[in-house]
Order: sequence, then structure tokens, then C-alpha cells
Amino acid sequence: MRKLLAILFFFVGLSCAGDVFFDSRYTLWKDGDILIWNVDKSITVDPKEFCLSLKRFNGGIGEPKCRILGEWERDSVSVHYANWLSYNMDPQSKPEYLKARHPAMVAKLQALEDKIVMFVSRSEGNVKVALFDETESKPKIAGVVQDNADQIALYDDLASTFFDKPTKRRLSKAERAKLASEPDEYYQEVPDFNGWIGVGLGYAQAKIPLTPDNWYRSHIDSKVRRYRITKDSTSLWNFIDDSEPFLSFYAGGTWYGFIGAELIYRVAKHNVKTDGKDTSYEELDHWDFYQHEIGLSIHLSKTFPIKSWLDISPYIFLGFQYSFFVEDIDVKDEVEKPSQAYEKRVEFEEVYKGALVGIGSQFVFAKHYGVNVKAGISSRGRDIYSDPSPDAAAEPTTIGGSTIDCFVSLGLEYHWVL
Amino acid sequence: MGHKLLVLLLTVAALLSGCAHQYQWTSSHYAYKAAPRDEIAVAGVDKAFVLIRSAWFAKKLGISPDSIQTKVTAECSRLLNEELKKRYPRLKSIPSEDMDKLPEESLKLDQRIFIKGKFPEQGVAMKDSSGNVPKYILIVHEVLLGTDLSRENYFDYALIHNESSEIKTHKNLTAIVSYTLWDNEKQRSLFSAVDQVEKPIVKVSMGDVQELVSQIATQIQRDLDEGVVP
Repeated sequence: MRKLLAILFFFVGLSCAGDVFFDSRYTLWKDGDILIWNVDKSITVDPKEFCLSLKRFNGGIGEPKCRILGEWERDSVSVHYANWLSYNMDPQSKPEYLKARHPAMVAKLQALEDKIVMFVSRSEGNVKVALFDETESKPKIAGVVQDNADQIALYDDLASTFFDKPTKRRLSKAERAKLASEPDEYYQEVPDFNGWIGVGLGYAQAKIPLTPDNWYRSHIDSKVRRYRITKDSTSLWNFIDDSEPFLSFYAGGTWYGFIGAELIYRVAKHNVKTDGKDTSYEELDHWDFYQHEIGLSIHLSKTFPIKSWLDISPYIFLGFQYSFFVEDIDVKDEVEKPSQAYEKRVEFEEVYKGALVGIGSQFVFAKHYGVNVKAGISSRGRDIYSDPSPDAAAEPTTIGGSTIDCFVSLGLEYHWVL
Repeated sequence: MGHKLLVLLLTVAALLSGCAHQYQWTSSHYAYKAAPRDEIAVAGVDKAFVLIRSAWFAKKLGISPDSIQTKVTAECSRLLNEELKKRYPRLKSIPSEDMDKLPEESLKLDQRIFIKGKFPEQGVAMKDSSGNVPKYILIVHEVLLGTDLSRENYFDYALIHNESSEIKTHKNLTAIVSYTLWDNEKQRSLFSAVDQVEKPIVKVSMGDVQELVSQIATQIQRDLDEGVVP
């Protein structure tokens, strides 16, 4: 019960400490100047003690300098506004209702230059507070704290209610001048040409994610019997393993940060899916195909300068490619003469033509070192540019006439601009 | 066929009204809790009236075009003061020289509606002509008198620079009045509005103008009562 009461008192204490009417974000400077504007002489704020309270409640505030804003306390325009402010501030106030209208008052606020003015005024057992900076002619934050005869406790309340926020370092005059003359990096000119070379590792498979298994099952599960027999031969994946890693080398570039081209070479090794139960393979040592591909794609991208050291360029690519499958086969050393089936084994086309399409993104660090992630779909088919012969129907089907896979790859790149 | 056309017309009308900007012609401060009855003074009336199409008025009222502006505006100011006094019997007035020295400022009613006027300084209470401090001040910023005026053309900042020629008609006498109820104790505007009142023209005489001014006073009082924040 006692604990509960203690917790209750704690919360009551918290809620009494201060009530903020509104809080538009303002910048609290490290080692800043806090000017105490107090036209209500019934309350005194000791700048030295108040500064110590600030340091107690905000570790990041550095060495603030507090002083009484005497010149405003003597000026009739600011005295009028201060009086007006003290009886117009209430919990329903919004900043626009408390705006200073007198041109001389507005000019005073604009001339503050990184200093923070803390207006204080006593009313009905409370101390009303409003903070001003040079950016606006209305208070940035306003509220009340409970009046307290103990001055230090009152300063602590003021510090914890209105100054408890992260601070920023003030720039020196020279730093400011330099910053003002620097071009805004978001408006920097796009280089005429951005080129890259890279090396990538990837993985490809016939099954495209989120598509039904039965589109691929017959190709993937198929085995090769007697060196050439499969159920179907429209896809190369009936003969060779589809899911294999690959290595790629590529070079490309974009003009004006938008349109570009990329030349890519990709190599992978695929095992032939020989049927283990088939005795005709007893003579065979190994049978693989090396897949070499050369492609050229159009590259459409947009660069986002996220940080000065990081540019992100998402892109889409669309291109064509030539695929060559180079056979690597050998019989066991002890076999003197390979079988008839071996001699008449399946032959792939010399070259397959296909298309590739996909998306990706380049992450370029420090303008030169890139990481590239991409995913896409590529196809291999027979040469569609050959004229159809009159007896096309009688011709045997081209092996691997429609071989499609999808891929993902991760590349490391070097970039340069011209 | 007839009702199909009607439906089509209604749809078009609904679409048009949905697209058009909905103006907000009044604005109340959150502290405006009760409409003033006494302790009110009026300011700015003697310099508020502006006659638009003065040549037309000169012809209709039989006054020389050279003096129509001063004569009619002076008369209207006197009439408006009288009419307001009928509605607020203990109405005082703020000396015009106290208002004249203030700078002109603008006050936002709506995203596109801004009224221009003079407002007392923050922290300084105004005194009426007998030296007392009234609780409220009705500041009349401007009264435009003319024929077939519409307030959008004068107060919507997107339209005020329109220079398209418009056909001058005279079906109605129009008065557009912009005013602010000022809290003189806390020096803040409690209620501001731009009102438009109209009176069909039969045969224009000074009596018609007087009736129009009476309508203005009625409209101001009605709006002050309706503008109270619940």
C-alpha cells in the first residue's frame, strides 16, 4: 500500500512539475546563450543558479551562458508584448495566437542570432514560460511550471520541462560562411557518365518463386537414359541440373544517371542428370556441361544521394544473351571403346539465344566502391531469326528450345565517373 | 427524358459544388465565449466606407460626381454609427486619430481569405472618446458599397488581381463589410468576418442606402452572436 502511494505521489509530482501548452521543435545549442526575459519583478531568476540547473538536467548542454535580458526589460515595445504575453498564455494557446505583431518586436526577435530567450512571468501559483529564437516571431515552446519558494527547485523544474532535449553544436562564423557557400549536395550535377566493372556470384534455378511446382516438375525430375532419352526435350533442364551457382564478370555504365548499358559474362557448371539405374552409364567417368553466356542489357536507373558517402541506384535491366554449352565428358580409363549409345549421345545446339530481364540496386560507397544486388529471369531458345523451312513440321524439335531460369546475384564493383 | 436531364444537371451541380473552394468568411478565437452587449466601442467607421461605381451613384442620387464619394461615405458612416447605437445602446467610439497611427496588418480567415485592417497594439488598451477603457471594440475595417459585387473578388487573394472584364450590372445594391471584434482587455481579436448584404434595386435613393446600412448593422450583430465558440 505504501509503495502504491509512493508511486502515486511520484506521478502526481511529475504531472505538477510542468505543463507544456505546445512544443514546436527548436534547436537547443550546446554552450548556448540563454537570455532570461523577466518583466514581472515579483519573480527573480538567478542566471548563475539557473545555468547550474541546466547542466544538472541536460548533460549535453555543455557550458551555457545565462544572463538577464536587461535591454528588453527596459524597452517599452518589448514590455508591452511581455505583458500581453503573460495574460494571453493559457493551455489552449497555439503559437499563432501568441505571435508578436509590433514590427519593432519582430525585429528584436529576428536579431537574436542563435540565442534563446526564456520569457518568465508569475501567475496564480504558476510560472509561465515561453521560449523564443530568431526563426519565428512566436514562441517555440510555452507552458507553466508550478511556482516554488525554493528557487533551486523552481530552476530545476524549468530546466527539466523546457530544456530537456538533445543539443547541437553552434557553428562558428567561419564555418557558417563556408557552409553557406557550399553547394547543396541534393542539387549536385549528375555526372555525364558513370561506369563500373564488377565481379559477381549468383545462384540460378529453373523454378521461379511464387509459381506452381507443376510448371517445372516434369523438367526437373526428368532423367537421361541411354545418353539421349528423356520424356521431353524442349528444356535443357530435362538433361542437366538447373539449380547451380554461377560466376559473372561485367562492365557497364550509365549516361546522365538514367540510361545505360551493361555487358555481362556468366559461367556455370551443370551436371547431366544420368539415371543411376541405367547400366549403360557404367563406362562413364563424368559428363557435365559448362554454360557460358554473354549478354548485353539496357540499364535504366535513378540515383538517390542518401548520404555524402552513399548513393543508391535502383535499376531495371532488359537485354539479350547468347548461351554456349560446352560438353565435358570422359569414360573411365579402363574402358577401351565407348558404347554405341555414348557415340550417339544427345547434342545441344551450338548456340542458344535468349532474353534477360530483372531489377536490382547498386549501393555505391565513397563514390567508387559498389555492392550490387540483382534478380531476374533469363531465357534460352533456338534462333528465331532462321527462316522456317517448308517442311518444318517434319524437322526434329530443337533440344532446349525453351530453357528458362531465374537468378539472384551479389556483385562487388568499382565505379568511376567521367 | 425530363427527369434524366434533371438527374444529370443535379450531378453536374453536385460535382461543381464539390470542386469549388468552400470559403470560410468568419473566424472565432477560442476565447470568444459570449457576444458583447454593453461595454463595447466602435472604431474605424468614419474611414471605412468606399463607394464603387461612384459615377453611377452620382447619376442616380443626383449628386455631383466630384463630391459623391465624400458626401455618401460621410453620410453612411453617420448612419452606421446610428444603426449600431440602436442595437448596442451604450456604444462608445474610439477616436479615429488613435486608430490612424496604427500600421495596417492582414488577418487570415481562410486559406485564401485575408482581411486588411488596423489592429491595436499588443499590451496597450485603447481608450474611448470619454477616456474609459471599453471591454470590446468593434473595428470596422472596410465597407465597400456598389452594385452586384461579390466578396470573393475583393478578399480571395487568388482572385483580387483578376483583370478580366466583367459586365457591370445593377440588380442589387451590395455592401461588403469586413470587421473584427477586439478584446480590449487582452488585446486580441475575438471574431472577424467578411459579410455581404444585398438589396434589390428598384429606384435608387438615399433611403435605399440607409436601409442597406441598417442591414449591415443587423448582419454584424447576427454574426457576432452566432460566432460565439460553444
